[in-house]
Amino acid sequence: MKNNKKYWKDISQLRDDPNTEKLAHNEFPEQLPLDEFLSEDLSATSTSRRDFLKFLGFSTAAATLASCETPIVKSIPYVVKPDEITPGVANHYATSIYDGRDYASILVKNREGRPIKIENNNTCTNARVQASVLSLYDSARLKNPLKNGVGIEWSLLDVEIKERLSNIKSKKIVLLTATIISPSIKSLFDKFSKRYNNVEHIMYDAIPYDGILNANMKSFGLRAIPNYHFNKANVIVSFGADFIGNWLNNDYSTDYIKGRNPKDGRMSKHYQIESNLSLSGSNADKRIPIKPSEQKVLLSDLYLSLSKGKGPTDPRLFEIVENLQNNKTNSIIVCDSNDTNTQLIVNSINSLLNNYDNTISLKEPSYIKQGDSDKVNNLIQEMQNGDVGALITYKVNPSYNLYNAKEFNQALSEVDVTISTSSYNDETASLMQYVCPEHHNLESWGDLHPSHNVYTLMQPTIAPLFNTRQFEETILNWLDQSDYHAYLSDFWRSKGINWEQAVHDGFFNYNDEEPNVTSIKPLNPDLLSFEGFNKEIELVIYEKTGIGDGTQANNPWLQEFPDPISRACWDNYMTVSASTARDLDLKNWNVSNGALNGSLVNIKAGNKIIQNVPVMIQPGQANNTIGLAVGYGRTKSGKAANNVGFNAFPLLNSKTLSIQKVEGEHEFASIQLHHTMMGRDMVKETTLSDYIKDPSSGNDRTTYPTFKGDLPSDKLSLYDEHDLATGHFWNLSIDLTACTGCGECVISCQAENNIPVVGKEEIRKSRDMHWMRIDRYYSSDMNKEVAKANDVSTIDMYKEMEEPSENPEVVFQPVMCQHCNNAPCENVCPVAATTHSNEGLNQMTYNRCVGTRYCANNCPYKVRRFNWFQYSDNDKFDFNMNDDYGKMVLNPDVVVRSRGVIEKCSMCIQKIQELKLTAKKEGRPILDEEAQTVCASSCSTNAIVFGDANNTDSEVSKLKKDERAYDLLDHLNVNPSVFYQTKVRNKS
Amino acid sequence: MTLSISFPSRRIFFFIAIFISCHLLADDINNGEKLFKQNCTACHMIGEAKLVGPGLKGVTDKYEKEWLIKWIRNSQEMVASGDERAVKIFEEYNKSVMTSFDFSDEEFSHLLAYLANPPEPEIIASKTQNNATNEGMRLSTKLMLIALVLVTLVFLLVSLKNNLKSALGQETETIPETLIGQYTLFISNNINILFVCSIFLIVVLKFTYDGLMGVGVTTNYQPTQPIEFSHKIHAGDNGIDCNYCHSSARNSKHSGIPSANVCMNCHTYISEGTNTGTAEIQKIYDAIGFDPVTRNYIDGYEQKPIEWVRIHNLPDHAYFNHSQHVVAGGLECQECHGPVEEMDVLYQYSELTMGWCIDCHRETEVKMEGNNYYTHLHEQLKEKYKGEKITVDKMGGLECAKCHY
Repeated sequence: MKNNKKYWKDISQLRDDPNTEKLAHNEFPEQLPLDEFLSEDLSATSTSRRDFLKFLGFSTAAATLASCETPIVKSIPYVVKPDEITPGVANHYATSIYDGRDYASILVKNREGRPIKIENNNTCTNARVQASVLSLYDSARLKNPLKNGVGIEWSLLDVEIKERLSNIKSKKIVLLTATIISPSIKSLFDKFSKRYNNVEHIMYDAIPYDGILNANMKSFGLRAIPNYHFNKANVIVSFGADFIGNWLNNDYSTDYIKGRNPKDGRMSKHYQIESNLSLSGSNADKRIPIKPSEQKVLLSDLYLSLSKGKGPTDPRLFEIVENLQNNKTNSIIVCDSNDTNTQLIVNSINSLLNNYDNTISLKEPSYIKQGDSDKVNNLIQEMQNGDVGALITYKVNPSYNLYNAKEFNQALSEVDVTISTSSYNDETASLMQYVCPEHHNLESWGDLHPSHNVYTLMQPTIAPLFNTRQFEETILNWLDQSDYHAYLSDFWRSKGINWEQAVHDGFFNYNDEEPNVTSIKPLNPDLLSFEGFNKEIELVIYEKTGIGDGTQANNPWLQEFPDPISRACWDNYMTVSASTARDLDLKNWNVSNGALNGSLVNIKAGNKIIQNVPVMIQPGQANNTIGLAVGYGRTKSGKAANNVGFNAFPLLNSKTLSIQKVEGEHEFASIQLHHTMMGRDMVKETTLSDYIKDPSSGNDRTTYPTFKGDLPSDKLSLYDEHDLATGHFWNLSIDLTACTGCGECVISCQAENNIPVVGKEEIRKSRDMHWMRIDRYYSSDMNKEVAKANDVSTIDMYKEMEEPSENPEVVFQPVMCQHCNNAPCENVCPVAATTHSNEGLNQMTYNRCVGTRYCANNCPYKVRRFNWFQYSDNDKFDFNMNDDYGKMVLNPDVVVRSRGVIEKCSMCIQKIQELKLTAKKEGRPILDEEAQTVCASSCSTNAIVFGDANNTDSEVSKLKKDERAYDLLDHLNVNPSVFYQTKVRNKS
Repeated sequence: MTLSISFPSRRIFFFIAIFISCHLLADDINNGEKLFKQNCTACHMIGEAKLVGPGLKGVTDKYEKEWLIKWIRNSQEMVASGDERAVKIFEEYNKSVMTSFDFSDEEFSHLLAYLANPPEPEIIASKTQNNATNEGMRLSTKLMLIALVLVTLVFLLVSLKNNLKSALGQETETIPETLIGQYTLFISNNINILFVCSIFLIVVLKFTYDGLMGVGVTTNYQPTQPIEFSHKIHAGDNGIDCNYCHSSARNSKHSGIPSANVCMNCHTYISEGTNTGTAEIQKIYDAIGFDPVTRNYIDGYEQKPIEWVRIHNLPDHAYFNHSQHVVAGGLECQECHGPVEEMDVLYQYSELTMGWCIDCHRETEVKMEGNNYYTHLHEQLKEKYKGEKITVDKMGGLECAKCHY
C-alpha cells in the first residue's frame, strides 16, 4: 500500500509557513550565542585588539601552567566496610513506591549507598516513578521539623503535640490523608483512635474519583474501583478515560498492548470518545471528539440501543454498537466522569454486555483510589464551625489542590492544632503550626496493598538524608511507642509471612477475603438523559503525562519532560481547537528563532478568574471545549516548580466558563517544530486487515532506477561495509504499534545517562539535551499533491487541510541515535571523535570532540545534542547538577559532559560493557534477556527490544527479519542498527 | 729468658679478649632472639605493649634472674606458693596461665641476654633516592671527563700546530687566537650557520615536545602516605596475596583500598611493625578505635577514616575496570603496578597514559581457552585472522567507547 498521507508536526507546518520551511533546514536555528559576549557596542569598548591578544595570551599561558600541576587526590576507604557493599558494584533492592498517587513495585539500583536508578519489578512504572529518584535528592525538602516555621527538635515536638492532642476532649481530631493502601498504617490509625478522642480518618484524591466509587456502591454495594483486564477485551470504548495516561493512576498500558498484537491476528478495537486529545485518544483506532455535556447523552443512547437491540440515534455510535453486540463478555466501557449517575449508566452497559467477571472484576478490586470528596467538604464546614480540634495531614496538599482551597485555608485558622507531615514546607504545611517532615519513599519502610491479593513491601535504600522521620514512626511516637520497622515486621510475621523473603522479593502472597459484591441493581431509567448538550464553551481538567497532579512538580526532569501530545514543557496552558481559536481570535505563531508564542486569555468561571492563561492550539481538541492541566502554579514547592504555569485546581468542578482575550503574548518552550523530518514518510503504517493479507503491507522500500533495474538503496552502497558478522551486533527494535508515547523511556534515559536539565529558555532555543525524543505526528488526508490532482484551489486546499486537523490520527515515534553502520556523522568529524565499533555502535568520544558540530549537521535524524554551556556546577543552570544533593543521582559509570562537546545516545554502552564483563568472568555466553538498554527495560509495553542480532535465538534477531521491520529513512542507506516495526491500526 | 709481654702486645690481647667476649655476647643474644621468636611471640611483645601477656621491655631490670627462671619454668607453682609478685601478675592478666618452658640453663642465659638487650628499631633510609643521586653523579662525571679530554685535545693540537709552524719558521698563534680564527672561518659560511640553527631548533623542539607530553604523566609518583605502610613487608616478606587486602579488584572496577577492619584481621595481634615499631600501626588503632593495651575496641569511639593519597589517577573520562583485567584478562597485578612486593614506599610504576594502554592491547593475546563466553567468537576470529594471534585490539580493544563513555 503506497502511503500517501501527509504527516505534519504542527499547525504552522500545515499552513506551510515559510518560517517553518526555513527552520526545517537548520539543525540549530540559533547562531552562536555571541550576543551575550558582545552585548556592548564593540567600538565603544576600551579594549583594543592588542589588549585582547594580551588577555588571550595570558589566559592561555595561565591555563597551561595550571594544568601542569597534578592535584593531590585522596582515596578514603571505609573504616569498617559493610559486607554487602563493594565500591564500584551496584546493589539492587526490591521496594515499592507510593506517594499518594502513583504506585509501583520497583527495583532500586544503588551505588555506594546511593539510589541512582529505578527499574521495574514485575509491574510497569511511569515517567513520574522513574523520576522519583531525583525527588529523593531534592534540596527543597524540609531538613528539620518545624514549629510555626521555626526549626525544633523532634523530642520537644513530640512532647508538645502529645500533650495538645491529649487535651482535646470534645472536638474532633481529623487525619486528612490521601488514599491509604498500607494495612499497617490502617492498624496504626485504629490504635491512634483508641489513644486519642474523637479521631476521624478522611481520605481524598487530588483528582477525585467519587463518581465511579459511589456508582459501584449503588450498583454493587462495594465502594471500590474494579480491576480492568484490557488484555482480554476485543472492544474498548473509553468515554474520556485516559487509561494509558493518568486515569486512576493505574498503568493499564501493559495489558492494553498485550491485547493488541497484530502477530496473533487479534487486536482489540479501541474507540476513544473524548474532548481533550489524550494519550489514549492518540492510540485509539477511532477517536470521536465530543463536548463533555454530550458524554451522558451518548452513553444513554448506547445503553438504550444495547438494551433494546435497536440502532442508536446518534450515527457516530453505529459502528460501536455493532461491535459491542458482537463482543459480549469481551468488551470494556470506561468513563472518566465524576458524576455518579453517568457512571451508573456505564455500569449498566458493562453489565448488559456481561463484562463483569470477564473483563472487569469488581471482586478483585483495586484499592488505589478510595477518596471521598463529600467528607472533605463536610470537614471544611466543621472546621469553620470550630468543631475540629486537630488536623493532621498526610500525603495531601489541600491548600493547593482542593477546588475550595480558599475556604479550607480560612477554616484552618479555626482549628486548634494543625500538623502537616509533608516533606516540603508546601502550600498547606506553611499554614500549619507543626510540620513533621516525612522521609522520601526510598528512605522508608512500609507495606502496600494496591489491589486484591497484591501485597508489596517498601524498604529503605538509603539512610535518611535529612532530619526527617517517616509518618508511621511519627504516629508510633504519639502512641508512646517506637521502631516502626519492628512493628511492621511483627505485623506481617504474625500473619505467617516469611519476612526476610518478602523484603528480598519486594512482595509476598497473602490471600484477601473476597469482598461482598451484590448483583447489579437495575438502572433507574430516569437517570438517562437525551439532552443537555449545550453550545457554551466547556472545560475539561486533565493531568499532563509528566507532572500529573503536581506532587512531584519540583522535579526538574519532569518539568523538562516534553508533553507527548503538545511537545511543550515547563508550562501548562489552555488547549483549544483551531476553529474555536479562530472564533475567539486566539493565535499561535512562531517567532524568528522558531520558538512558539501564543495569545493570552483570562478564564472566568463563576467568581473564580485565572488571569493570563497562554493558549495552545491543539488539533483533536473538541470544538468549543478547552483543556487545562493541573499540577502547575505551585508557589511553595521549590525553585524548579514555583511560579511555573498556573493552578487549575480551583476550576476542578467548574463546567462552563467565559474566555476573554487579553493583551500580551506567551513564550512557550516547545520542542515541537525542531528536528522536522522534512515531510518524508518516516512512519510506515498499515491496517490490521491489510496486515493479515500481507504482513509487509505498508512497508515499501524506496527503490532507485539503475541499469540492473529498480534496486533498493542497500544494493547500491558505495561504502566499505563494516564486519558486523563477527562477535556481537547490538540492535534495537521499536514497535510503533506497541509504543503508546508515554515517555517513560525518556526519563529513564535521562536518569541513566546523566543528561542535564537546561531550562525553559534553552529549550525555547531548541537546545534540548534529551538523548531520546518521542516524535509525534498528526496525519491528514489532504496534501498538495491531492489538491493538485483534484484541481482544488489554494484557498480550498487550506480549508480542507484544516478539516482533518480537527481530529487527526496520531503516531508516536521514539527516535534516538540510530547507530548507522554507514554513518554520515563519522565521515565528517575532523578529529575522529565519533567512530564505529565492531559491534554495530556509533561511538561518541567526548574527550576527543572539539565541538565543530559537523556531525549534527550531517545527521539525517537530528539526534546529536550539543553542550552549549557547562550544565553542571553552573549557577545559570540551577537545577539538580548545580546542587550537592542533586548531584548524588548521577550515574558514576557515565561521564558528565562538559561545555563544547556533542553527545548522543550510546545505546547504554556502560550496560553493554558491564554485561560482557560479567559473562566473561563467569565464563558463559550472554543470555538474550540480560541484554537491555534502559529504554528497553523500562518500556511497559515492550515496544523497545534490545539484543544481539548475531544471536539467532534472540528476540531482536527475529524482529529484524519480521515483515514489519523497516529502517528510518531507508532511502539514504545509512544502514542503522535501530529499526522500526510498522504501525498497525485496527481499522478497515 | 723471661717471657714477657710488652705493653702494646698486652693491649692487643686485651682488645682480642673484649672482642671475643662481645662476640660471645652477640651469639647469646642471637640465640636468645631465636628462642624468643619460637616460643614467646604468641603472647609477648619485646616492647611495652601488652599482648596476651605483658610487654617484656625492661623485664630483666624489674625481676631478678632467678625469679624469672623460676617463673618461666612453672608459673603456677609460684602462684600456688603465694609469691606476692607472681600472684599480682596472675591477677592482672585475667588469670591466664602462662605455658611452662623447661629450658636448659644455657638457654635461659641466652634468652635473658636477649631480653636485657632488645633490638633497636631499624631505620631504613629510602634506597630509591640514593640510587637516583648515584646515577646522576655518574652521568655528570662522564660528561666532565669527556669535556676534560676535549680541552686537553685542543691544547695538544694547538701546541702541535705551533711546533710545526715554528719548525717551518712561521708565526705561532696563542690558543685564543686559533679558536677565534677557526670560529670566524666557520661562521663566514652561511650553510654552517643554517646547520647549527637547525640543530638548535631540533633540540629545542624535542625538549618542548617531551615536556608537553610529560604533562599529567606521573610515573614514579611517590607521595608521602598518612601511614608508612610497606608493601614489601606485607606482600613481599610475608607473602600476603594482593587480593587479600585489595579484594574488590576481582569484582569491581576499583581495586579498593582496604578498610581499617581488614587491617585489624592481622593487626589485632601484631601491634609492632618491622620498620616503624608501634607508631604506624597505632594510626590504624586511632582510626578504628582499638586499645592495644587492653586489646579491646573502644565503645562509642568516633572513627576516623584513613586518608590515603591516591597514586594511580586516571582522568574522569577514562573508564578502567580492575576485574576486567584481573579476572577476565588474567593479568598479574605486577604487570601494571610493577614489583610492588619490593616497594617499601609505593610509587607509580607505569605511565598510565593512553599510549601505554593501547600498546598493551595491541600485544596482549586474549585468553580465550576454557571460557565459554569466547567459544563462538573464537571460532569466528580464528577464521578471520588465519594463524595470527588474537590480540585485544582484534576484538575491538582499541575502540574509543570501550573506555570512554
